[in-house]
Amino acid sequence: MKNIYWILAFFLLTFTGDRIGGWMLESLVENSQFRYSRMYRGEAKADMLLVGNSRGLSFYQPYMEEFTGKSTFNLSYSAMPMNLADALVRDYIDQYGAPEYMVVDVTLCDRLNPQLIAGFNCYTPFSKRLSELIYETSPKVQIGGQVSHLFRNNGEIFQRALYYYNRLDEDWLLNREISTRLKSDVASVEAPTVELVPEMVEALSRLVSDAQSMGVKVRLVVSPYYLPFAQKIQNLDEMVAQVEAATGLEVFDYSRAMDRDVEFGDYQHINVKGSKTFISLLKHDGVLP
Amino acid sequence: MVFNSVAFFVFIVAFLVVYFNLKGRMRIWWCLLGSYFFYGWWDWRFLSLIAISTMIDYLLGLKLDQTDDSMKRKRLLGLSMVMNLGFLGVFKYFNFFADSFGDVLLSMGLEPSWNTLHIILPVGISFYTFQSMSYTIDVYQRKIPVEKDLLRFSTFIAFFPQLVAGPIVRASDFLPQFKRDIKWDWNRFHSGTAQFLWGMFKKVAVADSLAPFVDHAFFDPVSNSSMHLLIGVIFYAFQIYCDFSGYSDMAIGLARIMGFDFPENFRTPYFSKNFSEFWSRWHISLSSWLRDYLYIPLGGNRGGSFGSWFFMLFFMAIPVVLMGSVWLGIAFVIISLATWAYAQRNPAFKLQTFIYLNLMVTMLLGGLWHGASWVFVFWGFLHGFYQVVQRFVGPYFGKFMRWIQMPSWARDGVNMAIVFFFTCFAWIFFRSPDFHIATEVIRGIASFENFDFANVTNKFWVARGALLIAMLLAVEIAHARLDYKALVLERPVFRIASFAVIIWVISFLGTFGSNAFIYFQF
Repeated sequence: MKNIYWILAFFLLTFTGDRIGGWMLESLVENSQFRYSRMYRGEAKADMLLVGNSRGLSFYQPYMEEFTGKSTFNLSYSAMPMNLADALVRDYIDQYGAPEYMVVDVTLCDRLNPQLIAGFNCYTPFSKRLSELIYETSPKVQIGGQVSHLFRNNGEIFQRALYYYNRLDEDWLLNREISTRLKSDVASVEAPTVELVPEMVEALSRLVSDAQSMGVKVRLVVSPYYLPFAQKIQNLDEMVAQVEAATGLEVFDYSRAMDRDVEFGDYQHINVKGSKTFISLLKHDGVLP
Repeated sequence: MVFNSVAFFVFIVAFLVVYFNLKGRMRIWWCLLGSYFFYGWWDWRFLSLIAISTMIDYLLGLKLDQTDDSMKRKRLLGLSMVMNLGFLGVFKYFNFFADSFGDVLLSMGLEPSWNTLHIILPVGISFYTFQSMSYTIDVYQRKIPVEKDLLRFSTFIAFFPQLVAGPIVRASDFLPQFKRDIKWDWNRFHSGTAQFLWGMFKKVAVADSLAPFVDHAFFDPVSNSSMHLLIGVIFYAFQIYCDFSGYSDMAIGLARIMGFDFPENFRTPYFSKNFSEFWSRWHISLSSWLRDYLYIPLGGNRGGSFGSWFFMLFFMAIPVVLMGSVWLGIAFVIISLATWAYAQRNPAFKLQTFIYLNLMVTMLLGGLWHGASWVFVFWGFLHGFYQVVQRFVGPYFGKFMRWIQMPSWARDGVNMAIVFFFTCFAWIFFRSPDFHIATEVIRGIASFENFDFANVTNKFWVARGALLIAMLLAVEIAHARLDYKALVLERPVFRIASFAVIIWVISFLGTFGSNAFIYFQF
């Protein structure tokens, strides 16, 4: 066989393998128990929608449901930016209608994260909105996903979907206690700031407004930071004021509300123990029903 | 332009189509133009530096050929060294030495006030400077004939596949290849493509996938658990290997498609059973360069020279001056005098001492070659120290292993683990921006606090990295034991299947976007 035919055979094999592999991976994503797979599959109907970045995972669902008696669905993900949360919430509402409550940890307005958004490429077969957002933030990734279906599933989000193929992710939260090293080093941490990205604050404001017009009770919160760390953050109050001004809603600020070391996993995240305290505080203050 | 970019793929296809349709000098001209275009894509201003470096060594080579006067020849060689090392000194080390000198003055209670220059490090300067220097030294030593054709010489210096990150190819290996009648060869195309794709897998899939976890671990070691840091260090060992050897594989593969044969630059270094073996498998083109042009001229295994003492005193003076410790200085002086006095009475000891000195000097300068920072020098020191200790301890350790009747496979495994462990320890300094971060990483690992997998953040990066490292090792072990060429390359069905599999794996597991090669900065 002439070399040129082998080259053609190579391209044909590469393309066919890519499509078959891509189809298999897409099936894995579709049938996973990972939260976004369940959402796009139509198995995520809930009374209360929880939105945030890794700190939003402090809305520990088992406790939340036990305390409120409401079913919950948590859309939070580590380092999630507001524009991605916006697309996911709108997809959720399109599919299930407006939830009764929506609780948002506003610190997800602190970043743009095109890399994470690109990771959601594996959900583009199920969401035109996500596809458009990825095209807007990382056009090469979106086009690459059209060219190679294997590439579409290249990323951490796909890996998580695979990991949670047969198990639920609703009961995951940090289970460690903050290390002695971190505790002792907090004194030397240079005064941090939480800088909100104006576009993300605007996206939050639009989402809040649209959700309220559909009858959703929106609650904005700042979940707790490790107290000695929170005391070093210079602009927490300004941040809260900025969000309140943009959305016209009160922000329930719990950033300095908890002070027991055993309730934190690190400076920015409470652990399972801390979550129980946090949720009871939310309930006590009437933030949760 | 980097190999793992869309721009490069467009460039290389267009380049090769024209390249194989030209003949003779037109083809070499095309090669030179392509090389300058490739380099100029990054920053065209630094093309002048390559051109000047080329002209200097070309002209000095001609002059060396025209004279038999040994003094004149020495002066010409010295001029070449001064010019080449001068470029390197200005562009790579100027700020480093200026800052260090400032630190010295500060330690003496003086407050220097000057501004360091904002000099951009030209990509690949260490590689093409060494390549150019080796030509002049070889001509001086009459190991190779002078190259009278400026076009061929310029292409040898600027040849784009290996211009920016090696391998450092010797003139004696490369220049004669221009005289070959190069034609399109399918076998070369197949084996070159295989090596290029494998290099791309190493870079895009393995190295770039490990990078985020490593960056996270070294960015703020204090906030990471000891297990996280340990995995970060091991991942870095594979990241730097795959990043650099991946580039070398791509360069060698490309050159092979173009009709040139380059020597191997990496040979599964983490399977080394001792540190000498490690250096015969890691960055072979640099280690052999250092051996031939530094270690042997210093005296090598035959004894010492003024250079051995000079460099050693220079490196010993650095910590004394920087730390401002008189006691350390006195200790060094006493050790040096005692060593010298004992060496005068014992010729065998004297020879050994010189060998160790030469080894240490070579490794220290090798460390400095990698970058203008004391952490690189310390990395070189550690590797020199390992080799010295190995010469002391190695024979006794081998006897001990035999005494406890450990089977040879287990002995090999233990030796590999020891070499890997200490290599990883040295990588901590190589990766850290300064000694503070390096000590934080070591302190963090040694604390064993939260030393379990549950306390590793970004476990998915770990899972992905571990999978890719397993794939890499599996293929490298198979490659070492099986005849890949006979089993796969010469069978078209297997060949296209293996190429397709690599592309699928890169598509599915590769990391795209952060595509700069680590060794570009060297």
